[in-house]
Amino acid sequence: MNVEVLLFYIFSAIAIISGSMVISARNPIHSVLFLVLVFCNAAGLLILLETEFLAMLFLVVYVGAIAVLFLFVVMMLNVRITELNESILRYIPIGGIILLIFLFEILSVINGDLVPFFSSKLFVLDSDYISLNHNLNITFWSNQINPLTNVASLGEVLYTYYVYCFMVASLILLVAMIGAILLTMRKRMNVRKQEIFDQVYGNINSNVRYIN
Amino acid sequence: MIYFIISWILEILIIVVPLLIAVAYFTLAERKVIASIQRRRGPNVVGIWGLLQPLADGLKLLVKESIFPSNSNIIIFVLAPVITFLLSLLGWAVIPFGYTMVLSDLNVGLLYIFAVSSLGVYGILTSGWASNSKYAFLGALRSAAQMVSYEVSIGLIIISVLLCAGSLNLSKIIIAQESIWYIIPLFPVFLMFFISALAETNRAPFDLPEAEAELVAGYNVEYSAMGFALFFLGEYANILMMCALCSVLFLGGWLPPIDIFPFTLIPGPLWFGLKVSFMAFVFIWVRAAYPRYRYDQLMRLGWKVFLPLSLAWVLFVAGILVGFDWYPFY
Amino acid sequence: MIIDLVKYLTVASTLFILGIWGIFLNRKNIIIMLMSIELMLLAVNLNFIIFSVYLDDLIGQVFAIFILTVAAAESAIGLSILVIYSRIKGTLAIDFINLMKG
Repeated sequence: MNVEVLLFYIFSAIAIISGSMVISARNPIHSVLFLVLVFCNAAGLLILLETEFLAMLFLVVYVGAIAVLFLFVVMMLNVRITELNESILRYIPIGGIILLIFLFEILSVINGDLVPFFSSKLFVLDSDYISLNHNLNITFWSNQINPLTNVASLGEVLYTYYVYCFMVASLILLVAMIGAILLTMRKRMNVRKQEIFDQVYGNINSNVRYIN
Repeated sequence: MIYFIISWILEILIIVVPLLIAVAYFTLAERKVIASIQRRRGPNVVGIWGLLQPLADGLKLLVKESIFPSNSNIIIFVLAPVITFLLSLLGWAVIPFGYTMVLSDLNVGLLYIFAVSSLGVYGILTSGWASNSKYAFLGALRSAAQMVSYEVSIGLIIISVLLCAGSLNLSKIIIAQESIWYIIPLFPVFLMFFISALAETNRAPFDLPEAEAELVAGYNVEYSAMGFALFFLGEYANILMMCALCSVLFLGGWLPPIDIFPFTLIPGPLWFGLKVSFMAFVFIWVRAAYPRYRYDQLMRLGWKVFLPLSLAWVLFVAGILVGFDWYPFY
Repeated sequence: MIIDLVKYLTVASTLFILGIWGIFLNRKNIIIMLMSIELMLLAVNLNFIIFSVYLDDLIGQVFAIFILTVAAAESAIGLSILVIYSRIKGTLAIDFINLMKG
């Protein structure tokens, strides 16, 4: 068996199992640690997709920052261990209908054979060129022409064509930073702080005395 | 197929085994160097010049009894030092020891090392929490907050070097230093990286969360025997990795200083070893020479001094490269 | 690609569905709800990147970076609101969060 296929099955199995443990673990710290495992396995799946820069970015941002934030909050607040909501039965009728609609939509997009009524040629303008065909033939043009790394190709596009989106993203981060600091900062009135500049700036002749 | 697997395992062992020996003897070297700075001898009883001291330490830790605190989460308690040690070994997979002598030549090698050091926070946080002890928990929170703060400035400094070299691939960064080592044009950046690496690895003078006189050794207070040994080994392997990263990014990795006759007799890996040893010596020197920072001073330094400075350096380097049209070739 | 597109998409949609389940199974536990939102964002992110690889279009990966940014910002603000809520009310029970007292 191919190594890639084996790795794909391992990563996706652990990701899905950890995902189900996130929502059903009794101890919230276990939930956060399983969330970390989901993120790590998602990064592994991205490496299999040959987007290694995004995989490392997931590790740094999701695992190294967001999950650490969750872990800090869960550890410092007294989150009680709650039981699973027992009255799941009342969700089944409406939830079941929505689930079936959702499944129908996804499967009709992914797998054209499932819905033989809507044949793939229904939306075709010119049947020779366009067809909603269900096996997508993939051609790796980038491997054939000019091997740019994932980082280089993203860099070529992000700062030229999508520079306004980039700046808006940075403004979003600025607003989030200001919001987080403003919401959680408490100014304590009776704490004496150090004024490093005043301490260091003093005149050595008046501050230091030679004792014999 | 079987040849492939065996050569793979041999390649990994040829990095891990000398690394573990180096870590063990680095502990001895630290004690001897600090002793010399403080004008005493250091361990010299166990072998000649104390050379068997790391084996004696290892044996002691191996035969000690492992104590598990009651009411602690056993699985996470045992996993935490394992995670710390594993991550400190994982970072060595991308470090080039010579020309094409690297275990895995990743194109995002530098970002991989950054990701691995971001993951190192988890070992400390989970160990402090799983110990079910107030002091361990407080020490772990402090240590984790310190590591996360200094990672930000390390990331920005990595960007400055990346702008000059043009690639995240560590071998390409070394080859880009063939004309001049980056320590010369980027000397302030090197200083900032060195100090941030000291803080990132919880090393003196930034070792308040784990010093023995404060908070009773911090997050690893409840660990005995193998758990403590794994934390210790993981921390020193982390220190050696930061020294290796310093020498790869700024001191030119396996390149000789000048590419002429007497210097090229010494092979590349030996130059790399010399540079890493020099950086490790400076790490030990700084530990012996400076008093400890208080925790709020430490955090102030990370956020109010190093973050703006490294950000300003990124802009400066980018401005110069764009202004003089000295784009790196990738 | 050796591995079929549908297999990757199944993984991403399963994670998304697990996130939705997490929200309506854990209505009383706000932290699990926030984590389920992160799980959903991760699934959508994976979806974008998978399609970007299979349709040879880089916009999927660019948008995935922006989704990452927004996820980080949103979890930071959500958790800080949670922190001050617990500081003021003294407890994390969000049953009566819509009442204006306190």
